[in-house]
Amino acid sequence: MAILIVHSHVGTRQFDITEGQNVRDALDTTDWRVRAACGGVGSCGACVVQVESGGVSPLTLSEYQRISADARAQGWRLSCQLRVYSDTHIHLEHLAHTSVWHSIPTADLMPSPCKFREIGEYHYGVAVDLGTTHLRVTLWNRKTGQRIASRKGLNPQERFGADVLNRLDAALVNTDTAQELSRLVRNAIMKALRDMLAREVGEIRLMLPEIGLITIVGNTAMLALLTGQGYSDLLNPDFWQARIDCQPIDYKKWQSQWLLPNAKIIVLPPIAGFVGSDLTADLLATQLCNGTQGAFLLDVGTNTEIVLWTGKTLLITSVPGGPAFEGVGIRNGMSAESGAIWNIEQNENGLTLETLNHEPARGFCGSGLVDAITILVSTKVLKPSGRFAQPNGGDGYALVEGNSRTVITGCDVDAFQRAKAAIAAAMETLLELANMTWCDIERLCMCGAFGRHLNIQNAQAIGLLPPISADKIELNADASLAGCELALLNENGLLLFDEITANAQTFNLSLIPDYEERYINHLLLKPIRAETAHD
Amino acid sequence: MIEDIIKAYNEAVYETDKDTAFEVVNGALAQGMSAEDIIFQVVIPAVEEMMSLIVKDPDANLAQHFMTAQIAAEVTEKMLLLFKFPPEIIGRVVIGTAAGDLHSLGKRIVMGCLKALMVEVIDLGVNVTAEKFVDAAVAHDAQVIGISAMMVHTAMGEHGCAEVRKLLKERGLEDKIKVIVGGAPYRYDAELYKNVGADTWANDGVSAGKVIVDLIKEVKSHVTA
Repeated sequence: MAILIVHSHVGTRQFDITEGQNVRDALDTTDWRVRAACGGVGSCGACVVQVESGGVSPLTLSEYQRISADARAQGWRLSCQLRVYSDTHIHLEHLAHTSVWHSIPTADLMPSPCKFREIGEYHYGVAVDLGTTHLRVTLWNRKTGQRIASRKGLNPQERFGADVLNRLDAALVNTDTAQELSRLVRNAIMKALRDMLAREVGEIRLMLPEIGLITIVGNTAMLALLTGQGYSDLLNPDFWQARIDCQPIDYKKWQSQWLLPNAKIIVLPPIAGFVGSDLTADLLATQLCNGTQGAFLLDVGTNTEIVLWTGKTLLITSVPGGPAFEGVGIRNGMSAESGAIWNIEQNENGLTLETLNHEPARGFCGSGLVDAITILVSTKVLKPSGRFAQPNGGDGYALVEGNSRTVITGCDVDAFQRAKAAIAAAMETLLELANMTWCDIERLCMCGAFGRHLNIQNAQAIGLLPPISADKIELNADASLAGCELALLNENGLLLFDEITANAQTFNLSLIPDYEERYINHLLLKPIRAETAHD
Repeated sequence: MIEDIIKAYNEAVYETDKDTAFEVVNGALAQGMSAEDIIFQVVIPAVEEMMSLIVKDPDANLAQHFMTAQIAAEVTEKMLLLFKFPPEIIGRVVIGTAAGDLHSLGKRIVMGCLKALMVEVIDLGVNVTAEKFVDAAVAHDAQVIGISAMMVHTAMGEHGCAEVRKLLKERGLEDKIKVIVGGAPYRYDAELYKNVGADTWANDGVSAGKVIVDLIKEVKSHVTA
């Protein structure tokens, strides 16, 4: 890992860059993007930067063609051609216009999953993972099986509330709001697509008709709000375990708004009121159901969906409590952005807090919160009950003395305890229903952004994850997008989704009496007992 | 001896350490203390202590409320099995979540505390219709109906507390059966309980225990007077 220091007219920032990575790709994942119009092949010349010092790759042929000898002598380069090998300073005169869209680091995407095939006339396609907080969109050449570009941005519905219930409530109260919520997401998808075409292909108008398929996965509430179908049923308990139909009725209207005359639009169907098609996508991408032994899949998001594959059948449930892991309801909580404390190490000199992009600490993302609470318990600042050993009157405890951004309060610990207890108790309840124990579990897949940086040992120490061998635990943060891409690239994508969930059983834990007692027993900040599944 | 037991039990409850709480209780039984004495001299004072602490203790959180209520309920259940005579019950409550609401955990704290306070609790579960609340209260001769609602639309919904009030009125039961509500929406709006037709409300599950005991006494004094 090298550090790229970028000087621009708005200031100086530093970014991590993988040795040998080009500057454009590295900056595309941030909000400091270079200008671009050709997809990084060195043909447009829009992405010029000036190297001030550092270890970089030699000039390429396209740079000789695009940059004058004088400019080359002053260190001007094309950032898409410029690879960085050691800490480097560059001057970036023209930042691209600020955009809500950033590309997703390649390391975070699962490898191209497809067995590609002959695809009719229009062989480009778009996969959309519609989350409550973020949208992830990728553009594909379905014929060659190549992922052309990816984008990630905030779900613009956020202004109607961070949590799903508020948005559903807003839609129910007012049909204009319901339409607005749908329109916001449709616009966002369109903007992400146009941003990709503009920067990676260099052509929008001619490309739009070439797009033949769009596949969309998401949690049920997001799909219902997007399509304007079934959202009123979601607040009714009778529909929690029922299928909710959310196909876009106004298919033609969407095509014409998006200027995509040839695009078939497939909203992949959710499993039930509280289990979305993003979960089916996780199952496809991780191939959970291919094994013959017990396996768990957790998708930690705004809700946490939990799946037990028994080797023969699927048991599915969902618990609230994800928001704590995304920083919601935590005083210094935040999502995994610049300045988020994501990792904390304990050594003889005290604590080392690592933040994303090495920015000054702004707060904790989910993995940082897990580390912080684990360390507070192991150093006996915090008791397993969640109480501080020394009462602090609600002010909390600063991990770094004097730094208010590193404070953890009693309320934070409480929210965390309730979230992790819900997950652990749900897993145990499913095991019980399947007449299995932790010993029968050969695999555990953690999906959702929370898992990306998670310290597994710490998560086990405070009872978020079960006491199974760490090498059986896989972190698959972007599995739902990968599953959506499978559906985009596979001739029978829709069929795959139906097949995988055809025999799934869904459970509403609030109707299973033992669940509450298990939940309460899991509130202590202690490891999960290996034997508790058969209490 | 009894002071040591009380101290050890209170400490275990404060630490929400169920295993230790049971060790203390089992130790007391082994030393010859009766189940009745354990309940009336150890468990009930501990619950009352907890109720008074919760108002003052800003550090006590929901997770701890769940755990302490659970300990109180489990210890009480175990001790009741050992009672020589059936314990004297101070009253009965039917409890459940409002129609449309599946959030069952809040009422669990209330139930745990009530059990330890010798109030009989009839749990109607989740998503309970108004009709069922009233019918069950009459069938069990309960003094109080407790309705938990965690969402604004179930707290204010026409099939929730408002309909329970309507039925009580229609059947002339308003003096015999009182209604208490609880849940997040009532905390945001301290006047909301009146708008939905409840007699009272409680800010948290532990305090609800005390409010319900008071309601039972009120109904009983009214009925006997």
